[in-house]
Amino acid sequence: MADTPIPLEVRDITKRFGDTEVLKGLSLKAHKGDVITLIGASGSGKSTFLRCMNLLEQPNEGELIVHGENITFKTTRRGREPADWKQVERIRARLSMVFQNFNLWAHMTLLENVTEAPIHVLGKPKREAVAHARDLLERVGLLDHADYYPAQMSGGQQQRGAIARALAMDPEVMLFDEPTSALDPELVGDVLKVMRDLAEEGRTMIVVTHEMSFARDVSSQVIYLHQGMVEEVGPPKEVLDNPQSDRLKQFLAPKH
Amino acid sequence: MEQLNAWFVELLSNNDIFTANTLGYYLDGLGNTVSLVFLSLIIGLLLAVPLAIARGSRRKWIKWPIFFYTYVFRGTPLLIQLYMIYYGVVFIEGIQDTFLWAILKEAFYPALIAFTLNTAAYTTEIFHGAIKATPRGEIEAARAYGMSRALMMRRIIMPSAFRRALPAYGNEVIFMLHASAIASVVTIMDLTGAARFVYARFYAPFDAFLFVAAIYLCLTFAILYLFRYLEKKLLAHLKPING
Amino acid sequence: MIDLQGYGPRLLEGALVTVEVAVLSLLLALILGLLTASAKLSRNVLLHRLATLYTTLIRGVPDLVLMLLLFFGGQIGVNMITDWLYYQFGVDIFISINEFVAGVVTIGFIFGAYMGETFRGAFMAVDSGQLEAGRAYGMSNRLIFRRIQFPQMMRHALPGLGNNWMVLLKTTALVSVIGLSDMVRIAAEATKATHEPFLFMIPVALIYLLIASVSEWGVARLQKRYNVGFGEADEWNN
Repeated sequence: MADTPIPLEVRDITKRFGDTEVLKGLSLKAHKGDVITLIGASGSGKSTFLRCMNLLEQPNEGELIVHGENITFKTTRRGREPADWKQVERIRARLSMVFQNFNLWAHMTLLENVTEAPIHVLGKPKREAVAHARDLLERVGLLDHADYYPAQMSGGQQQRGAIARALAMDPEVMLFDEPTSALDPELVGDVLKVMRDLAEEGRTMIVVTHEMSFARDVSSQVIYLHQGMVEEVGPPKEVLDNPQSDRLKQFLAPKH
Repeated sequence: MEQLNAWFVELLSNNDIFTANTLGYYLDGLGNTVSLVFLSLIIGLLLAVPLAIARGSRRKWIKWPIFFYTYVFRGTPLLIQLYMIYYGVVFIEGIQDTFLWAILKEAFYPALIAFTLNTAAYTTEIFHGAIKATPRGEIEAARAYGMSRALMMRRIIMPSAFRRALPAYGNEVIFMLHASAIASVVTIMDLTGAARFVYARFYAPFDAFLFVAAIYLCLTFAILYLFRYLEKKLLAHLKPING
Repeated sequence: MIDLQGYGPRLLEGALVTVEVAVLSLLLALILGLLTASAKLSRNVLLHRLATLYTTLIRGVPDLVLMLLLFFGGQIGVNMITDWLYYQFGVDIFISINEFVAGVVTIGFIFGAYMGETFRGAFMAVDSGQLEAGRAYGMSNRLIFRRIQFPQMMRHALPGLGNNWMVLLKTTALVSVIGLSDMVRIAAEATKATHEPFLFMIPVALIYLLIASVSEWGVARLQKRYNVGFGEADEWNN
């Protein structure tokens, strides 16, 4: 057990935008099957922190270890950059991301979206990728929409499609960046259900969200961020039902 | 100032090409270019406004001929239009007998006619587009206040359309400046004509053409800055929505 | 039937020359346009300045002046370069700037600048989220460009490129001025010989309009292909 590398670990992640320090030495360990929810106010740095994990943002300091592989960095005139972009591409293929704005490729059908990365990044043969994709689309309830274009689907459908696209890569860890924030309220439930099913399946997930129900019911760990630092961390029962800090209490209080 | 003068005189007398003589040609050429462009733009504009309004008419017998005119003049090269009018003017029945012939004999005037018709066609389409793009709300408000079509056109639609057309019209002015070089093909001594003359005389292509290229560049920038200034002044009211 | 006084066949040959010039210029312009756009979008200051200088000069000087400059000055300039090459490296080549080359190169360079602007706007119009998703899934930059950026960029570029092409087509008439036997030159010669301007100019005008119509149809078809997925959304689209 101790020999299997954990899927994802970050240590002392620090990120600056100009003079402002947005992330102040954050660390996180995701074991297999963990569902970690990051919560916090806007500007707390939770999305930036998530995006550092697949290097869509470059942390100024800190380590990133994916499945035991440590990402190497080099310092350039512009700051710190990954030393080997091929390595970055490789680990990105093992971490799928689901975006707030879905970001389904608009000029491809849903099916093409789901098979695109498996075929062109993983090198899967087309027939295999298509079969796998159709299975996944059925799982999320969108098989009959396989030949639709994103513009022809509702937001909830697009996001479920995006989740299928993420699953198609058979990822170590799934990263969710506020997956329901851009959806009309009545569509949020469908997406959350898919995410809950994934969590129950044992997927390793790191989720940035405002949906407290998800955080409470499904996560194994909740991290509350404030201004780039961890205010509180722990199992949902503790953090959400028994908040220690005043700020967290205020954050969780119903805002009517 | 004294030094500049002295340098200038030395430049003129020391070299063969940029002599006072040839500079005179260039100056004449510049004059011709400016008057050709300016006149055709003004007359073209005066023609285009009523044409643009009529172009939006619902009556087919009005809008189709105008569309035909703009389609042909925008779809064919200016050079062809110039050739047709320049060589074709002779064919108008009896024109050689009238007083008009005294004017049309000079190459300048057929060219002016061709350029005017050309810019009028493009400008008509520009204004037509600007009129069509008038926000529905402004028209509805005008109707609700009992304005007649004519009043609405005069007080609401046209002023707003003029401002909307400004960027596109600025481009048209620059295109006309550049297109005017074609006048040299029918022996008009505009800037380009002067350059060709100097080249033919002295076999110095770079001196001749680079020099006029620089002049055209300056003229282009002048027009650009003029329109940028106009846009700033006249489109300021649209800024919060546009910008 | 209209009697073209024997100029018929030559006019058709001229039309062919016109089309050849237009198509070759288009290819050159497309390549230059893509290069210019990437130069303007790159972080390299030198490239950016070079590209801006290029587009500014082209848009500030009349097409005809550029063509005369290149045609009359081009041979001298090229000779100077090949002479230098000969004295320095012993390389003995002769590049001839004939009317055709001058015409195609001039028009290609002119419209390379305009298409550069079109392409630049089109690249900027592609939603960055689309590219980010590509990166997030481990796609290399080359893959992202080929599979996502280029197709979506073309959708935005096509209307502008279509316009650029229409203007390019009409600009080819200028090659008649430097003596290339395109259909405008043949028609002009015929006109001077027979004093029948309309007899020859109208067919030429009609051919231009015909090529323009065919082009419009072609561009519309291309647009249909690249607009795939961006059509009217369903009623219940988010």
